[in-house]
Amino acid sequence: MTKYLRILVTVLMVVVAVFAGRWVWNDYMHSPWTRDGRIRADIVTVAPDVSGWVTNLNITNDQAVKEGDLLFSVDQQRYQAALSQSKANTENALYSWQLAKHKYERRTALLSQKAISAEDLESSRISTEIAKANYDLAVSQQTTAQLNLNRTQVRAPVSGHIINLNLRQGNYVSQGVAVFSIVRSGSFYVTGYFEEAKIPLVHLNQQAKITLLSGGKPLTGHVASIGKAIANTNTQSNSQLLPQVQQTFNWVRLSQRIPVDITLDPSNDERHLSAGMTATIHLTQ
Amino acid sequence: MLDVVVFGGLELSPLVVYFPVAFLLAALTRLALHRLDWHDRIWRVAWFEVSLFVCYLALTVYLLGGR
Repeated sequence: MTKYLRILVTVLMVVVAVFAGRWVWNDYMHSPWTRDGRIRADIVTVAPDVSGWVTNLNITNDQAVKEGDLLFSVDQQRYQAALSQSKANTENALYSWQLAKHKYERRTALLSQKAISAEDLESSRISTEIAKANYDLAVSQQTTAQLNLNRTQVRAPVSGHIINLNLRQGNYVSQGVAVFSIVRSGSFYVTGYFEEAKIPLVHLNQQAKITLLSGGKPLTGHVASIGKAIANTNTQSNSQLLPQVQQTFNWVRLSQRIPVDITLDPSNDERHLSAGMTATIHLTQ
Repeated sequence: MLDVVVFGGLELSPLVVYFPVAFLLAALTRLALHRLDWHDRIWRVAWFEVSLFVCYLALTVYLLGGR
């Protein structure tokens, strides 16, 4: 009897260990969690719409700005001169139009006295139309010149914080070339890179617990979207747009990582978040 | 609750804590069994001890993992 009891105790322990080991395996391998998470935010790059020297820099690095705040000014002289030229052109075109109109009206009266040919009158009418078109063209050019002058004042497109400001007063900036970025306020979210084998366990609106590398109370959020595509590093197209497929002979294949975006709940306390921070994400099953 | 272990800027799996804890518990149990002289009451001591380690590991993961 004692012998059977000895065997029973050991066998029981082995059976319990099998179930416990299976639970640990499932907990690690088949539950929706990842240590490969990153804090992210909406980044808006700021580029001047006109080229020129920076005459006035109103911001410092990491400074908070509100939408519409003046960030920096580009030298206005060239754009001011262009506007004056456009205004003069507009005035010139206006007077030319008035003159052409006056001539046309006078010639219309002459036609009734048979003092002018119909062809001359038609020519005069067309000249008036050309003068009007020239005036419209001059007005649009003036509008563009005014717009360029206004765009020398570069304003914040969104509220947020300035990032990576290397711009200095006196630098030359070029049209369309970004000079720094703004991290939009309240736009922080988390992206978790989940193994493709775990994607069936991820659902929209699933609750998420996010632990930062820096520790502290975990943040909470909800799954907002699951990435629909990632790049295939195994295939490229050649010059004839035919797929060049690399031959693979690996016995071990790594599962791909699919990005899953998680929005943070508003209930989270005001903790300092920086885009790029590392996070561990657990989703409820 | 232990999700990750951060050591000098390195982020490690919490298993680096769970394994030693489970091992320590298994060793203490083994010591206690020796002191109480209960080893004779167990059939296949090695099987028993390995199974005990796995059970302790699962318990550690459950308790420290906050599940």
